Amino acid sequence: MNAAIAGLGMTELGKVYGRSPRRLAADAVRLAAADAGLALTELDGLLVSHGLGGSPGIELADTLGLRDLRLLTQMNSFGATAGAMVSYAAASVLSGAATTVACVFSDAPLKPEQSAGSAYHRDAREWYGFGGMTAALGLRSVNAFYALAAQRHMARYGTTSEQLGAIAVSTRQWAARNPLAQMREPITLADHQASRWVAEPLHLLDCCLVSNGAIAVIVTSADRAADLARPPVHVWGWGQGHPGHRKERGSEFGLTTGAAVSGPVAMKMAGITPADVDVCQLYDCYTYTVLVSLEDYGFCAKGEGGAFAESGALAPGGALPTNTGGGQLSGYYMWGMTPLSEAVIQARGDGGERQAPANDVILVSGNGGILDHHSTLIVSPHRKGA
Amino acid sequence: MATDTPAPTGIGVLRRDFRTDPFFDGAAADRLVIRRCADCDLWLAPDATCCPGCGSEEPGWADAAGDATLVTWTVVHGRPAEDGTVPPPAVLALVELTEGPWLHTRLVGVERAALREGLPLTAVFEHPGEGESYLLFRPA
Ligand SMILES: [Zn+2]
Repeated sequence: MNAAIAGLGMTELGKVYGRSPRRLAADAVRLAAADAGLALTELDGLLVSHGLGGSPGIELADTLGLRDLRLLTQMNSFGATAGAMVSYAAASVLSGAATTVACVFSDAPLKPEQSAGSAYHRDAREWYGFGGMTAALGLRSVNAFYALAAQRHMARYGTTSEQLGAIAVSTRQWAARNPLAQMREPITLADHQASRWVAEPLHLLDCCLVSNGAIAVIVTSADRAADLARPPVHVWGWGQGHPGHRKERGSEFGLTTGAAVSGPVAMKMAGITPADVDVCQLYDCYTYTVLVSLEDYGFCAKGEGGAFAESGALAPGGALPTNTGGGQLSGYYMWGMTPLSEAVIQARGDGGERQAPANDVILVSGNGGILDHHSTLIVSPHRKGA
Repeated sequence: MATDTPAPTGIGVLRRDFRTDPFFDGAAADRLVIRRCADCDLWLAPDATCCPGCGSEEPGWADAAGDATLVTWTVVHGRPAEDGTVPPPAVLALVELTEGPWLHTRLVGVERAALREGLPLTAVFEHPGEGESYLLFRPA
């Protein structure tokens, strides 16, 4: 017996204005329940996570009018949260603590007439304390911290900007096939190289989008899912990795991620190895995050993520179709729900023009902080062990 | 440790808070003051909120040598101002103090081509007309 994802709900994503994060979250849960063919009253668990706006929390249950829940909490390990929510929901279903759990993420950082970058950028004339000093000196956005990580990998292993660009290009090739993606115009490596610097070595086309919206999934038992409206997406395994890189001598910051721990844990639970994975949905806040995650999962050796990306393996027609919906770079930026939602679509065979040729084993990653938190899910259209 | 490099632009005004007095007092006197837990014989970054050895939430302060090596870096290009002027690029970095802790900082007086892992650096302090001093690093 395994748990399964029985419903997927996605609001409009992108420049979606006029709805609060709480309203968007409620809409996504309603859509997910309807997708599964469930009434809201059949939910007995709700796991809530939010983006930078800090809303919604567990009051979402009241917004939805949910009563007599057996499981209700807010979860946060930043970009790793979606995987963490599904694993908590799956464990709750398997233990009998709950039967039907909605997991939702919502955020609305974009405001009308404000650039996407400014939603995640700090600026001020006066700066306070140590945190302010770091920002004042110029480390004013997450971009700069990921740039430090990527540069360290480049200096250590010879990774190049063109190799990062290969990920931007292949991800856009997938996005061109996805009607839900925000950026569908094809790009070339030359476009990537010509795009403006955000924080060297990261070009604009190395960085994810910013989106408003919400996504929810419904987790239940495989048996129950089999009786519901849509093909079940079976959850074979899960894991987390939180390396706790200290900022001091000997730190592996920028060189390894929690995927080196969460991957083997999830794959062991699922009874698979990296060679069994047909499709990857990797958290891609930056092209670099994909590159280093591929290494840590064991799809290539440490330091060879650049060559692997450059080989074309990740693109349509490649050996390891990766971020088949366009990811967060070109699709939509819903933190860990971006890779998870595309995994559900691929496992159901609903990918249309972008459907991967094989979908028996799909690896989903989440990444939070500056490569501080990682989660992994292994999902499949088939029952575990079948 | 006075500096001969031009003052960096675009840093803005630094203000102390309740946790920063020993650090900014030191910076005003061209001294790099960081955290040190004497009980555990551990050097910690100035913004450390506790000692990982003993859990003390008030590890002491001590003078660091001001010597460091470059761990990694990024060149950040500022956003154009309303008048269209673009600020010069800033070289931001993670540096490893000889005592062990890492600091996020800004480099001055360094050529792009010279940037490499392990580049020896030394602390320099700028004393702007308003606000607290800037801690920066330049090639040793
Ligand atoms: Zn101590």
